[in-house]
Amino acid sequence: MFTWRKLGKVFTPQAVGGRPWLEEFAQAPATLLFDDVVRVYFSCRPRADSTGQYVSYSAYVELDRGNLFEVKNVSDQPVLALGGVGEFDEFGTYPISVIRAGNEVRAYYAGWTRCESVPFNVAIGVATSRDEGRTFVKCGPGPILAYSPDEPFVLSGPKIRRFNGIWYLWYIAGRKWKVVDGRAEPVYKIRMATSADGMHWSKANQDLIESRVEEDEAQASPDVYYAGGKYHMFFAYRYSSGFRGKDRGYRIGYASSMNLTDWSRDDGKCGIDVSDDGWDSEMISYPHVFDVDGKIYMAYLGNQVGRHGFGLAVLEGQLE
Amino acid sequence: MRWRKLGRIFDPTQHALPGGCVQFAQSPQTLPFEDRVRVYFSTRAVDPRNGKYLSHIAFADFDTSLRRMIRISDKPVIPLGKLGCFDEHGIFPMNVLRHGDEVYGYTCGWSRRVSVSVETSIGLAISRDQGMTFERIGDGPILTASLHEPCLVGDGFVKVIGGVFHMWYIFGIGWSRHSPDAPPERTYKIGHAVSADGIAWTKDEARHIIADRLGAAESQALPTIIGLNGRHHMFFCYRESVDFRSNRARGYRIGHAVSEDLQNWVRQDENPALDVTEGDWDSDMLCYPHVFEFKGAVYLLYNGNEFGRYGFGLAILEYD
Repeated sequence: MFTWRKLGKVFTPQAVGGRPWLEEFAQAPATLLFDDVVRVYFSCRPRADSTGQYVSYSAYVELDRGNLFEVKNVSDQPVLALGGVGEFDEFGTYPISVIRAGNEVRAYYAGWTRCESVPFNVAIGVATSRDEGRTFVKCGPGPILAYSPDEPFVLSGPKIRRFNGIWYLWYIAGRKWKVVDGRAEPVYKIRMATSADGMHWSKANQDLIESRVEEDEAQASPDVYYAGGKYHMFFAYRYSSGFRGKDRGYRIGYASSMNLTDWSRDDGKCGIDVSDDGWDSEMISYPHVFDVDGKIYMAYLGNQVGRHGFGLAVLEGQLE
Repeated sequence: MRWRKLGRIFDPTQHALPGGCVQFAQSPQTLPFEDRVRVYFSTRAVDPRNGKYLSHIAFADFDTSLRRMIRISDKPVIPLGKLGCFDEHGIFPMNVLRHGDEVYGYTCGWSRRVSVSVETSIGLAISRDQGMTFERIGDGPILTASLHEPCLVGDGFVKVIGGVFHMWYIFGIGWSRHSPDAPPERTYKIGHAVSADGIAWTKDEARHIIADRLGAAESQALPTIIGLNGRHHMFFCYRESVDFRSNRARGYRIGHAVSEDLQNWVRQDENPALDVTEGDWDSDMLCYPHVFEFKGAVYLLYNGNEFGRYGFGLAILEYD
């Protein structure tokens, strides 16, 4: 089993102020390393509207590279605009995953629209930055990865990586909408697509991670990290109903692979769970593993799926 | 060339329609047999939950004269999509194509949105019983929004030419609000995609293959293609993007374009022309054309007033 030592919550959106679009939530952390700071992109929300509905924006916080608990800067504006009327990302851009590509930074993000029979639908868009990731311009008004016969709705949670010259996009795809107490809740599974250029994608069209807690287990945030000669995936999973409480809410799972296609799940090796009390006592989710100056960290969300921010854990030992 | 009108051949208000449908027989699409022509169309039931329409596919069989109806389907040939799927709230139209012993049905699926009325995508369902019933290849679409085609991919028409599957379809270029209290209206254009198997498609993305006659606000719909005398002929319908429902001067008319190479199309709406007939069922509007050849003659099926609320008619191609 890996040993993650929790360092505590590192960012609290409620503490920022002066940004009405950043009132609460700091979800799905994703890092970009600079000489002096570790920039962590996240998704946040203004207050809900009069009907209780949210939109979501993506932004970043910069942490001092020598002391990750020192916040140096928070972006003044969302890094990406919401889409226009009728576009796939009209009501939200969440989550976002970034990667350097030559002189640019490229962002893959999930765009949210609102539907009549179910609350939302989601597809994956792409945007580029020519100012070191401070602002992004969409490559087009539509999605780069959208629905297909076996992935009928809710393509979300993109995580962009490049290994051995190939672009990989891990994401989730909806399997079914399950009506629980009159409310439609999506069941989704971890999927993958590959590309030579990051723009034209081929879907693997298979579930990568077997379901463990139930057939309708929902899986999210597939975060892949290479170390010790193999690929490690940390992800989040939960039950399909009653998941807003502690017992059936998000936990972090683990799988490994030698070839990026065939994954072996072993949650017992994961090494991080909810705390007895505090900000992450009910659920933990949206893991993101990254290394800085020889140490491996995991950023993750706590209770209420990041409503009050994200925290860090540091790995003791190696990923192998 | 000229079209000689043969009159309305199907009035849905005069028949018992399957699935509780009343009125509308839109977008007729043919499947020829030796002794008959099967005409699929979209008809409508009322959604008991909210009074909105649900479009279903039905068919009527006509004898070889094409004037006498000999059978009407007694149930919808394909159920609507599952909760949250692209074709949950209607299928309109469905283009059919023989492929070996099977019949491919390219569906245009409708699902309702909140900020705009609807989103569409194209699905594939296959019949192994000569078109009596169709089964989806998956819950999701085969052609949908993409980076530069942000919305409203629909109205697929498929034809195999030289061993290659060609699809002509429409894509939305955006929604816009033309006055503060009016709902957003859409504008769409005709596009083209190719495929080796009829399932995985490559778009000629966002290229408007048919020149606008009414300017940038022209909406073009329902392309249908036939080869005549060594050239490809496309028929379609077009209209203004606002005030097109009841203003007969701005409503749908039939357009026509010609191509030698399937890439470059020259618009020739007047040769052959099809125009409205004063005082008749098609006095105000002409839409949803379908061109086909049967026993040596070339025919056009089309809808008249109110988008086909009162059925479809037939015209035959004649040469001077």
